[in-house]
Amino acid sequence: MSAAFEAFLARIYVDDEARRRFLAEPREEAARAGLDASEQEALTAVDRVGLELAARSFARKRAAASRPRRRWWPFSG
Amino acid sequence: MRDRFGLGWRNELAAGILSNLDRIDVVEVIADDYFDAPPRQTRALRTLASQVPLVLHGVGLGLASCVPVEARRLAPMARLVDAVGPESWSEHLAFVRGGGREIGHLAAPPRTSATAEGTAANLERARKTVGTRPLVENVATLVDPPGSDRPEEDWVAGVLAASGGDLLLDLHNLHANAVNFGFDPRSFLDRMPSEKIAAIHLAGGRWIAAGRGRRLLDDHFHDVPDPVYDLLREVGRRFPRPLTVILERDGAYPGMASLLAQLDHARAALAAGRAMSDTGRAA
Repeated sequence: MSAAFEAFLARIYVDDEARRRFLAEPREEAARAGLDASEQEALTAVDRVGLELAARSFARKRAAASRPRRRWWPFSG
Repeated sequence: MRDRFGLGWRNELAAGILSNLDRIDVVEVIADDYFDAPPRQTRALRTLASQVPLVLHGVGLGLASCVPVEARRLAPMARLVDAVGPESWSEHLAFVRGGGREIGHLAAPPRTSATAEGTAANLERARKTVGTRPLVENVATLVDPPGSDRPEEDWVAGVLAASGGDLLLDLHNLHANAVNFGFDPRSFLDRMPSEKIAAIHLAGGRWIAAGRGRRLLDDHFHDVPDPVYDLLREVGRRFPRPLTVILERDGAYPGMASLLAQLDHARAALAAGRAMSDTGRAA
């Protein structure tokens, strides 16, 4: 896996439109992002339910962190 | 050295923690909260560290990555560790950004040799900058990390072997991943080197709908469930090294009596495991 793969994951985790495009055409979107064949293949098998749940969870965490008076991350892991 | 039990330091819990230090052996402070804090807050933290054993817990470094961690992200941790003098510090086996985007939370990395090697390299960078190696914590994930080619236990064991670091084993994260992705959490424990587990996190979560099924969300808003205590007992049975056990709570705070009761439950579970161990039976 490459830095580009991590960047691609970060994009589909935080960008609703990018995630929608990816789920419609996983291999094509991965190719357009410059990922290699093995990375494209890996993404065709993505856990779709989990991806949506994780993206929603990340969005909630970002929203919570942006609220005032939060002195620590909304979640410690 | 003995097993110790403590709480995550949160503003909402501060008064309760300070008034119950006879039942709290250690506190864990979120380091990132203090990276840009005024000096008086850092001094207050140092004062706290003089009253009760204190460990720092990082959440934003994103060390589990092929991408080298930037020196500018390690520098605040190094300054804080130097200023506060914690017993130890820890970070997650997660990536939190990529391609200039902040995910805003802990994302499980693809479990590959490349990310294991990248993580070990980042842990070495952290050690050189901060002065000590962090404990590393397994993370919960709602999505099976895309691109993974090995089970979580193999990836974590590989990172520990390559980095020489120790594990902060989060038992609710392990429980959540096990129920969400259908593996036996004891198979994870089977792969962990006995001497590498230094600390434990306990927490709770809730079930959320997931397609036609459900998944367990590790939200830290709920009490520690029984399967996590069962795992703690199993840890005590298997691993003789003294442990620092931290109960994490990030919201929906119950009264201190409830949190202290959960610490007592944890003490009893770990002690029961110790008693079942070869060493315990021989004693």
